[in-house]
Amino acid sequence: MAMPVLAASYLGPALKPNSDEAWDEALLPLSADALVQEIMGQPLRRAGRFIKLVCCGALTCLKSVPPEDLKDKKIGIFLSTGLGNVDEILPFIKQVFKHDGGFPSPMQFANSVSNAAAFFLAKICEVKGVVLTISQEELSFESALWLAQSYLESGAIDLALVGGCDVFTPTVADYRERMNLTADNARELAMGEGSSWLLVGNSSGKKLGEILAVEFPDKLMSPQGFSRSKIIGKNCAEFLSATTGNAGISLTGVRPHLLAGFRVQEVDAENWRRLGWIIEDYLPSCGIHPTAAAFGLARAMLGPENAFYIHYNCQGSGKQALVAAFTE
Amino acid sequence: MTTSDICIRGWGAVTTLGWSAEESAKNLIAGLVAPAAACLSTHLINHNYKAFEIPHEGNAMDKSWAMLDCVLTEAINRAGLSQTEIAESCLLVGTTGGLFIRNEYEFTETVRKNPDKESPAIVCRNRGPGEVSDWISRKYGIGGIAMTFSMACVSSSHALVVAAQLLEQKKIRRAIVVGYEPLLNLTLHGFASLLLYDDDKCRPFCNKRSGMQIGEGAAAVILEQNETSSPGGAKYKFAGGYLFNGTDSLTSAGVDGELVQDVILHTLHKAEISGRDIVAIKAHGTGTRDNDLSEGRGLLKLFGEKLPPVVSLKGALGHTLGAAGAVETAVWLSCCEEGIIPRSFGFEEVDPEIGFAPSPSNTPAAAGAYLFTFFGFGGTCTSYLIIKE
Repeated sequence: MAMPVLAASYLGPALKPNSDEAWDEALLPLSADALVQEIMGQPLRRAGRFIKLVCCGALTCLKSVPPEDLKDKKIGIFLSTGLGNVDEILPFIKQVFKHDGGFPSPMQFANSVSNAAAFFLAKICEVKGVVLTISQEELSFESALWLAQSYLESGAIDLALVGGCDVFTPTVADYRERMNLTADNARELAMGEGSSWLLVGNSSGKKLGEILAVEFPDKLMSPQGFSRSKIIGKNCAEFLSATTGNAGISLTGVRPHLLAGFRVQEVDAENWRRLGWIIEDYLPSCGIHPTAAAFGLARAMLGPENAFYIHYNCQGSGKQALVAAFTE
Repeated sequence: MTTSDICIRGWGAVTTLGWSAEESAKNLIAGLVAPAAACLSTHLINHNYKAFEIPHEGNAMDKSWAMLDCVLTEAINRAGLSQTEIAESCLLVGTTGGLFIRNEYEFTETVRKNPDKESPAIVCRNRGPGEVSDWISRKYGIGGIAMTFSMACVSSSHALVVAAQLLEQKKIRRAIVVGYEPLLNLTLHGFASLLLYDDDKCRPFCNKRSGMQIGEGAAAVILEQNETSSPGGAKYKFAGGYLFNGTDSLTSAGVDGELVQDVILHTLHKAEISGRDIVAIKAHGTGTRDNDLSEGRGLLKLFGEKLPPVVSLKGALGHTLGAAGAVETAVWLSCCEEGIIPRSFGFEEVDPEIGFAPSPSNTPAAAGAYLFTFFGFGGTCTSYLIIKE
């Protein structure tokens, strides 16, 4: 079942919502306080950056929808994160491991609990019911989107607020290790962060487009194959053809856009162009982070109209994920 | 009775009471339950915290891998899954700490091996909660979608409910649900900072209770949508799975019991089962003031004088946090296979604010519906039924 996308928002390391503003890895992470003030109208004093970014990203998305479109709707929250609130866990555990016996802060521990951010977000949005925190390394967002689709189909919810958030936590070397990044299994790009969201589901309101399908092929991709545009191109083309076919959409004269995840080491743009694709390289705008796919897809939904997108992603161990979307 | 056709085909568990669900259940039924004690694992930097530790002679990392191996092997063997069936299964994991233990183990080993050097700062190298499922998928050849729920104490109970829904929708063919929680400095010190420990013992629903005690545990439960008999001949169905997130309190389900009552009512309604058909209740029963008050009041509001036997397993196993859903389900199922529902450990005196005593003695595991409840940090609630046929 295709999911209408009612709203989208993307936030990258520059902390400017829905903008590709430049940023510098060496200066990260930036303070989120001004952003919190701008979006929420008040500080979130006791919350860490992860919670702040989750709330700011999700609220930016929700605020772009007329309130009447949300009235009396059962909304589910699907927060995806690869690494979670590392920014809260690290200072807490460092305090615990101090030689002289640390006295860790209870507030810091409470905020370090994996679903604290989802609770804060649910409370702010006054969403009760289905609120899930899902984690699957760099396929976290796709997993959450797939699950949201199931919940929408079941009728348990009317709308799903699906987002991906991961925060930059020094050092870069540690961050790269946490993400299982090596010279031969990912693109050479700066490390980043983001909080990007989609509001999907059925509504009579205006929609930005649709998520046509989310798929996790059974076959694993070897790291050597992470850049093989022939194989990936074939997979993407077959997936696009099947999903648009199921939706009764003609692809005649369409040049689809490829959104490549960061495991694709080299995007052979010329070859992709020959195969009929347009390369939409979103990663320089958000940097590498586990839920970068959310940034790429949300940015695409706010991009040009009448465009088809395939997001292709691959986990370090070879599991693949494809998302098909189009904008109206 | 329920129309659910979600069956539990296999399960396995490792707890402080044994390296299998069967051994854990037998010890539980026999009352061979030791109180929580100072932990021995060398990766723990403070041995004053009492917890229900899993005995193991190797190091903390070896134990972690062994726990996962053990529960998956037991569950797969019990289910009799072929390699093809394993490959087409999906994996849903519930864990809070995941493989964070690697950070703690590597740090303490570095310090231990370099006694004369200044300790480095601990670094975080684990790949987030999803790393556990990636390891399991690769090791066992599980080819379906893998997903990790990191939702504090309801992580694996939520995973079970989500798995059942996906099966009902025919989105997946089979779900292997794993709960995994090794002992961590992070959680031991964290709950201590919240002043949530009972230094004496874990006393669920008892007037003398003053907090929880952490348990170490892992479990796997295999669900699928068809008729499958367990080796003992009994059939177990999973029904009425319901999850809910409240927003009134970060730390409890509300001490008036209203939310607890509402969540259980949803489960009974969804499963088309009357409260009168409940044989026994496997309560969350952590031993903290708030949890037991909200849960106890909710149960009494709903069942009144017809309250079935209530059992908390945490007085015997400890609170296995994100693994609690899978661990307590797997051990309960093995108790059912033994024909006995265990008593609730740690109880001494009725709390007048709760108004009932949990089950004081072992009872026969009759055919019928067993209610499971879990409540966690972040206003999270899970409830489901297991029907023994």
